[in-house]
Parts: sequence; structure tokens; C-alpha cells
Amino acid sequence: MEAFLSSMPEILATTIRMTVPLLFVALGELFSERAGLVNIGLDGLMTIGAFTGFVVGYQTGNLWLGVLCGAVAGIAVNMIYAFCTVNLCVDQTVMGMAINILAPGIATFAYKVVFGDGSTLVQGVTMDKVAIPLLSDIPVIGNAIFNQTLLAYLCYLLVPLCWFYFARTRSGLNFRSVGENPQAAETLGINAVQMKYLASIVCGALAGMGGAFLTTCYTSTYATGVVAGRGFIALAAVIFGRWSAVGILGSTLLFGFFDAVQISLQIAVPDISYQFFAMIPYVFTIVALFFFNAQKGGPKANGKPYFREER
Amino acid sequence: MATEATAQAPKAPKVNKFGVFQRDKIISIIVPIVSIFLAFVVGGIVVLCLGKNPIEGYGYLFSGALGNAGRVAQSLQSACPLIFTALAVSFAYKCGVFNLGGEGQFILGACATMFVLETTGVEGVPGILLGILVGIIAGGLWGLLPGVMKITRGLNELITTIMLNYVATLLMNFMYSKVLHDPDSGNLQTMAVADSVVLPKIDRLHIGVIIAILMAVAVWYVIYKTSFGFKIRAVGINPTAAKVAGFPVKRLVLLSFVISGAIAGFGGSVDLLGRQYRLMTGFGSGFGFSGVAIALIAQLNPIGSMAVALFFGMLTTGASSMQVGIGVPSAILDIIRALIIIFAVAGMAMMKLPTFKNLLNRRPMDQEGLMPPTDTKGDDGSSLKPEVSE
Amino acid sequence: MAEMLRMEGISKQFGTFFANHDVNLDIQEGEVHTLLGENGAGKSTLMNVLIGLYQPTAGKILWRGKEERISSPARAVELGIGMVHQHFMLIEAMTGFENIILGSKVNPSFTIQESKDKKKIQELMDRYGLEVDLDVPVGEMSIGMQQRVEILKVLYRGAELLILDEPTAVLTDQEVEGLFDIMRSLTSEGKSVIFISHKMREVTKISDRVTVLRAGESVETLKMSETNGQELSDLMIGHRFVESVYDKVVAADKPMLELKGVSYHPNEKHGGLKDVTLTVNAGEVLGVAGIDGNGQSQLAALIAGLIAPEEGEVWRNGQRVSIYSPDDFIENGLADIPEDRNKMGLVGDMTVAQNLILKETTSDKFSYGHGLWLKTGAIQEYANEKKQENDIRCTSVNQTVRSLSGGNQQKVILARELEGNPPILIAVYPTRGLDIGATNFIHDRVIAARDGGCAVILISADFDEVLKLSDRIVVLFEGQVMGEYPGVNPPIDQISLAMAGK
Repeated sequence: MEAFLSSMPEILATTIRMTVPLLFVALGELFSERAGLVNIGLDGLMTIGAFTGFVVGYQTGNLWLGVLCGAVAGIAVNMIYAFCTVNLCVDQTVMGMAINILAPGIATFAYKVVFGDGSTLVQGVTMDKVAIPLLSDIPVIGNAIFNQTLLAYLCYLLVPLCWFYFARTRSGLNFRSVGENPQAAETLGINAVQMKYLASIVCGALAGMGGAFLTTCYTSTYATGVVAGRGFIALAAVIFGRWSAVGILGSTLLFGFFDAVQISLQIAVPDISYQFFAMIPYVFTIVALFFFNAQKGGPKANGKPYFREER
Repeated sequence: MATEATAQAPKAPKVNKFGVFQRDKIISIIVPIVSIFLAFVVGGIVVLCLGKNPIEGYGYLFSGALGNAGRVAQSLQSACPLIFTALAVSFAYKCGVFNLGGEGQFILGACATMFVLETTGVEGVPGILLGILVGIIAGGLWGLLPGVMKITRGLNELITTIMLNYVATLLMNFMYSKVLHDPDSGNLQTMAVADSVVLPKIDRLHIGVIIAILMAVAVWYVIYKTSFGFKIRAVGINPTAAKVAGFPVKRLVLLSFVISGAIAGFGGSVDLLGRQYRLMTGFGSGFGFSGVAIALIAQLNPIGSMAVALFFGMLTTGASSMQVGIGVPSAILDIIRALIIIFAVAGMAMMKLPTFKNLLNRRPMDQEGLMPPTDTKGDDGSSLKPEVSE
Repeated sequence: MAEMLRMEGISKQFGTFFANHDVNLDIQEGEVHTLLGENGAGKSTLMNVLIGLYQPTAGKILWRGKEERISSPARAVELGIGMVHQHFMLIEAMTGFENIILGSKVNPSFTIQESKDKKKIQELMDRYGLEVDLDVPVGEMSIGMQQRVEILKVLYRGAELLILDEPTAVLTDQEVEGLFDIMRSLTSEGKSVIFISHKMREVTKISDRVTVLRAGESVETLKMSETNGQELSDLMIGHRFVESVYDKVVAADKPMLELKGVSYHPNEKHGGLKDVTLTVNAGEVLGVAGIDGNGQSQLAALIAGLIAPEEGEVWRNGQRVSIYSPDDFIENGLADIPEDRNKMGLVGDMTVAQNLILKETTSDKFSYGHGLWLKTGAIQEYANEKKQENDIRCTSVNQTVRSLSGGNQQKVILARELEGNPPILIAVYPTRGLDIGATNFIHDRVIAARDGGCAVILISADFDEVLKLSDRIVVLFEGQVMGEYPGVNPPIDQISLAMAGK
């Protein structure tokens, strides 16, 4: 127990590292759901982002280019989702699953094309941490929060930006109306289809970046299964965070914390098989939903297809 | 509002002698076939871009899958677990439950079978029966969990079943690396099951394949021929109306979770005893999602699921031949499989769009019953479209 | 007076079907122009063309003398056309203020300037007497206030022509008066109103001119001062309208269903029941009148066994009910024509035949071994029989019930529910959205059931329907029974007042 407590600063730093990818993706999903699109293909989008981020970063040596390409790849794959759900009115869940099957397929195939069929993983590099002067000296939390990669700082910044957009801008208000009642929005001259595409672009980009974070800031390799269900945990985080940017920050921090705890427990308590600690994030996701599920709430037209005649 | 009306435009009045609407049936068979064709074309283009010959590649693929009796048997055995997971998905989805946990239920079924057989040491046919029985029960219980969470607290099964997949995989990991770890092997795996509990073989084919095919028929019978299946379907389409009609909606939903999980668990046992003989890294991996893909391509029809699963089994078996033959990673088939499902669901959705319906419905308005777009079924019950010929 | 709008030869085709055919309409400045027609006469389609949701197949639109193509709702707003839809186009989770400014380009600032925008809205509220609480989420407002938000929404965008689609359907008489005052103050400022309604009493009271639509075509435009209600009715239906009249009966004192002091969420104004006591005897129709949203849905759910009362007792056929579940109620002879036929009454993607036997799948008639094998042949035969008997118009009984028209869907429900002469029938809004032919058919069947000894509870927001069918009438207001009235020579004024809680 003592060892556990003394490793607290380390746990906090890990918490942030585990939170950032979730936060990226969950904010992406927030945009998607606010426009009425429940995208369960996040896992797939993250996978494609993780792979693209890694391969571009590895080949060019420029990790930022990798992150950018990860975002673009996320958008590209999510456009398939957007076209099928918005224009063809395919069931959103079904389409999300299709993305979850397609994206890892592409990633695995492309990985083997680029790196061959060898069994050893190709090692890349991760981004350097940048300590923010003064702030990183705050006791306990300072180093954890303010000694991270620039990509993590970018992610922090997204939270107030999202909040501001949805709560204070006209465009954000219009955007939300599409997820609540697209018919009403259309009668007011808001182009619901355009908004849904916009949402899908933002969602694809953020999910791609979340994935790219995993391979450019967390591990330095790409391995199949690196995403490990984070897309689905992010989905739960959106519900748990009650569809608000600030709420999602809170819920992803909590999920990140439990992930960090299980990692340190694996090291601290070697007597118990690590598999049981590794279950913690998944079990906690279920438990959190069980006690704090929002049966109602969330955008009202979420998940419903929107049929528009003509035009 | 407006467009929902047209979305539900009347079906063409072409009726065959059984009174079934032929066109929809034909579409539901043609769309998957066209999707498979298109997916192979796109896959071929990818192969072409790598400077390889796709025709040659597909040649290797099919000869690798069907080239001789042994390969056919192997294809059938690869299809066997997929039939189970696809049926699990189909059954649950008929009741409006999207079970993504096929993989976890499959794995847990296999784990339970393994554990019981290793610890009790029952041999022979009793061992097989006992193993399969606990496999079914374990799968059912693993399906019960998300079911209980859904009906008591309204938890979305998409998330819970996925989470339980990871938990099941870790449990299996614990199983083969600790509890039942094979001390003689350097790999992470359990010992093989006793020879006497291996499923009997007919020629080179284990009887699990026959069980799977019988299972598909059984699921078809339950869903389409019994009152229970009728109610399951009604709940899946409209739970509110089902409740008003006096159906025990929650109980039916819960049962569909359990039965779905049990089918997947059954599959896990059969795959363990018929093909794999031991638990190891990667056991059952991806079978759940493949089951989802198959069920969706087959539009949830059990017999169709079986057919698509057989096709997928073929692809799995032929993939390595293709890789060896033309040097393209076998993962190309993962892409092709995903494209089949995308084309299939997109194609089916497209056929339901008003524009397409109108194209298909171009015919004179003089027949009785051929009605114009009738009043809408919007949530608000609003009537935007006229009601005529009353 | 100058001409504001002219629609000439408008046609709108869906597939092979004309929803509008060669429709003409002209609107003068400062008039209330009523669009009169049955459900399905093409009113909504015409208005959707006008506000840019649909593109006409043929015809042209002139706005203040200039030909315009209204390519989108945004274009209609630019011209000054605004519509208040029958089913409000409001975002319930947002406040009145947010709903009003939503999507408007009146103030193009990037962020929301609340005080500035509110000032402008306040001016409009004062000018036209539209009182709204801007900071309350719309979902928590009364229906009347929601409607005022809708009107403010279009005025805020500078509408010159307001389209009000069935605006009085959800209002009490007092609220209707208030709405008419608002309409008059609008027209006195030179704005015009297109008023869509089929309530003749209101049409004759507020209209300057009336255009009658029938079967997608415009029949005639008349000055209100030169016509009367009967003439308009006849034009609307296309022949002399003869309403069927049913005898009223006084049933013997044989209570089939009794509610004794029943309460359910009694503190909710729009969804509770407070100390409701009522009795229905065999062989009579008890009409429950009231404005929509005064506890009707809860009363219906309670009688169908979907919810259990928190206080009080329900007695059925002389026995106290102890189990509240739909199947138990059905078992005990309850037939239910539910409020929303698509949501609650039918399984849309199943066939007509399957919907007809929905509750009978384990019976020996339709299956072997209590549901182990469904008898497809027997089901087909039965369905075809019912199709004939109830004049259900469909190509085949294997068609999905979703593809039927509303009237035929309701006939499917009726055929299913009235099978085997049930002792109790609850009919909730049974003719909502149906045309006169289907309405008459439904009414005939309900009365026939009554004459066969069935105890019928009719819940309807259509006051005329309640008056026509009921042998006794009770009024529901905010979850309370306001009084009981006889079905013969009912005191209409008194009942209207009771419906408003007076």
C-alpha cells in the first residue's frame, strides 16, 4: 500500500497520458452526437489514426506530420460512415460496426505492405515532453499535468473551446439543434445534412488524433489491438459526461485514472495475476454506467435517421 | 416528417402465388451477391496497385479453399464457429438487441468446457456432452449479464458487451497462462483436451459442422415458426406495441440475450473440441465481429447467415494460399470482408430510399390497393401525406 | 389592398401520385385567408411548397408581383414567409429565447448577444401581445406559450406572411380567443395570415376569405361575408354532407369498469391523474372530453394496464383489479384502440395478417402445440376473412401494415380488437388524422360494439366526436374529472367551460 501511495505522482502522470486519447475521441463523439450521429466506429477510427500516425511519423521522422495524417485518415474513413448514414440512411450502429471491421483491416494490411510480415514490431520514437515553467512546479499535480507532450496540451485546449462553441456561439446553437430536432432546424434554414457532415469531419479528425496520440506519445510502436476498446470506453464517457465538454473531461479523467491505477497495481502487486488488474478499466466502465447511466438525456434525435425529401 | 411518408411508399404490387412480395425477396438476395462481387473488384484494384495480378490471386484463393477434399473440409471447419457467432447475432438482433459480445461468450464457453473437462476428467461421450453443456451455460450467463444491465438500468448493450469481451479474453489469458498452463510448452497455451472428448470425425470433417448447420435450421424454426419467435420479432420491431399487446417485453429481451450468448458459447465448445483442442493466444479472436458482419450481410436470416458464414470460412482458408501465391498480405481479405458488409448494408438502405422506390414503382395508378405515399408514421403521428381511395 | 402572394397552377407529384394538382391561391395584404380542406386534401403539401421544403412539379409563385423560385426554407424566410407548424418545430431542451434566435441571421454576430437580441424580442412581444417566458426551456411551457414562441420565431425573422397550420387544435376556447386577438393585431399592421383549419365555427369567425381544397385541387375561393359554414362543408367534401346520427342509450346499471379515487403522479399538471372516479356500464359509451394533455394518455394507459395507480382502486366486472399488466387486462376481455396506432397499436414492419393475429399466436386456431408451430394457412385464411369483413384496402394481407394508409391501419386494429365481442373497449383518439369516410366506418363499428353490450370508453380531444358518440360525458382537466353530463342534449357551454377548468 505504501508503495502504491508513494507512486501517486507517477499514477497522476499516467492518468493524464491515459486520459488524453480518450478525451480526444470522446470530444469527437460529442460533436457527432450533438448532430444526431451516434458513431460507434470510434474504435476503428482510432485504429486507422494510430496506424497512420505511426507510419507517417516513422517514415518522415516528423511526428506532427504523423498526427496530422492520422487526423486526415480518420476523416477519410469517417466520410464513408457519414455518406452511408446521412445520405443513404443506413442504421448508424450497423455502419459504426462496419467501420470497426474495415479500419483495422486496412491498418493491418497496410502495415504488412509497408513493414513486411515479420514478427518483431518496428520501433519508432515518441514526442518529447515539454514542461511548462512555473506550472509544472506545482506540487503533486504540476508535473503530472504540465509536463506532457504538446499534443496533450492541444487536447486540454479543446475542452474550453468546445464548451465555448456549444454554449456561447450562434453556430454552436444551430449545431445542437440538428441533434435535437433536424426537421425543426431545417425549417429555420439550418442545413442539417451539412451540419452532420461537419460533425463527421470533426469526429473523424479528433478520433484519428486520439489514435495517433497512442502511437506518437504513448507507445512507440503500432501493434494490432493497440486501441484496446478505447473507442467504446469513450462512448461510455460521453454518456457519463452528460454530453458536455466539461463533463466529458471529468469522466475521461476518471476512466484514465482507473487505467493508471491498474497499471501501477500490476507492478506493485505481482502476487495477483495481472489479468485481473487489466480488467479494471473495462469493469469500471460497466460499473460507472450502471450507477450513473443516463437513460434519458442527450440529444433527442440522436441515432435516428433523418430523411429529407428532395433538394 | 415529410419524407418519412415517401420512405414508406407502397411496395410494388407484384405478388407471386404464395402472396409474397417477390421483388423485395429478390433484392435481398441480389444485393449481397452484388456486394461480394464489388468488394472483390475493389480488393482486386488494391492488389493491382501493389503490382500483383488479382485474377491470379483470386485463383489461389479459391483453389486454396476448395482445391481438394481436405481443403473443403478445412473451409467448412473454419466456417463452423462463424455460423454459431452469426446465429447468435441474428437471434438477438431479431429482438432488437445488438449483441457485440459474441466473442466473449464464445471464449467463455470454450473456457468453461476446458476447465470442466480438465478438472473432472470425464471422458468419452459423457465428457463431450458435459463439456458442451457447461459451454452453453457459460455463454448464456455471459449473455445474461448485459441483459440484466439493459433491462434494469437501460445500459446500452453495445458498450457492455464489448467491455465483457475484453474481460473474457483476459480470463482466458489467465486460464492458459496460469490455471491450466501447459508446463511442457514454451507458448502460452493450455494442454490439449483428452483424445476421447474430441468430436468424432466423418472423414476429415468433425461433426461440429453438422451441429452448426442443424443449429441454423433450429434458429430459423424458432424465429419464424413459433409463437415465441413471433413475439421476439414483434418486440424487436416495436417494443411499445408489443407491450400494449400484452407481451412480456423485458423477459423476452432478457431471454434473447441469454439464448444468443448460449449459441455463441455452444460455438466456443464445439470449436474447442472439434478443431483447436486447446486454449491459446488469439483463440476466438475476431469471431464476434465476423459474426456481426455475416449476420448483417445475410439480413439476419439464419439460413442466409449459414451460407455467408460458409463463404467467409472459405475466404479464411484460402487467404494464406493467396498470400503465398502472389505475395499480398492475407489481411486484404479483412478489407474485402468489411467492404462486403458496407456495400451490403448501403445497398439495402439505398433500395429503401424514396428516390429508388419511386424508380421501381413507376407504373400506372389504376390497381386497387396501390396507394400513393400514405400518411406518415412520424413519432408525432402527424399526417402530411393525403389519404385517398378510402 | 395590394396582392402579397400568388400561387398559380401549382402541382406536386410524389411518384405517380399528385398531392397537389393545378392549385391556385392568392393572398392580399392584411387579410386572414383560410385554407380549408379534409386531411389529405393537399393543404400541407401546398404550404410545404410555399415555405421551400418541397419543390413544385409545375406552376409558379409570385411574391409581391415578382416571380420567385423558393428553393429552400431559408429563401422563404428571406422573402418574409413564416410558418407555424401544427406539430411545433421547437427544440424542447432549449429555452424560448434560444428557440427564437435559432438559425436566424437577424443578428449575424459570432457569439450570442443575449441582451441585445432579447430587447428586440421584447419589442415584438409588447407590440403584438405575445407573452412568453424567454428563459424557460420550451419543454416546460404550456402548449399556448409554445405556440406564442413559434409565432415570435417567425416575426423575429421579419415575416410578412404567417402560415398557421391548425393552430387551434391544441388550445382551449379562451386560448383560441387570445390567438384570434393576436391574428387581428397582425393583420391590422399589414401582415397577412394563412389560417389552416377544418373547425367551421372558427373559420367563419376569423376569415376574410376562404380557399377550399379537395383531393389535391383548389375548388373555389370565396369571401367569408358571402358564404356560410354549410356551403363550405359541402364544397370541402364534394357532395352534400350528411352526418350519421346515432341513438343515445341509457344503459342499465351494470358497471364493467370502475375507477375509484384513482391517482397517478397527482402533482403533474400535464401528465397526472388526481382522484379520478368514473364508471362505465355494459352497453354504453362514456365519452371523456378535454383538451389534449390533461391526463388522457395516463388514463388510457391505466385502463390498458400499462401503469398502476398510486392511489385508489380499479374494479373490473365487479372485481377489484390486483395485477396491473397488459396481458392480464387483455385476458380479462379488454380491447384497446390505443392513442398512437403506429407506436402502440401496430408492429409496422410485420404484415397485415401478422398484426391481425398479434395477440393470438398461441391459440389452437393459429398454431399447433400452443405456439410451437404457427399455422400459416389458417392465419392467411383468417386474415383474408377479416380483410373482407372490415374493408381493409390492401393488395395482400402479406403486405407490411406500415404501407397501409392511416384509415386502413386503424381498421386492422379495430378488426383485431373487436374480434370475439370483448366486454370492455377503450378507444383513444380513434379517428385522429383520418378522413370522413374512415371516421364514419370507425364510428359505426364502435356504436355496433356498444349495441352488442360492450362497455366503451371513448377518450378524444375532438369535442364533436365525443358529443356525437357518447351516452354520458365526463370532462378531464389537469388530471381531474370536472363533472359528468348527459349525452342527450348535452349542455355544450357548460362542458366547454369545464374543459378550460372553470
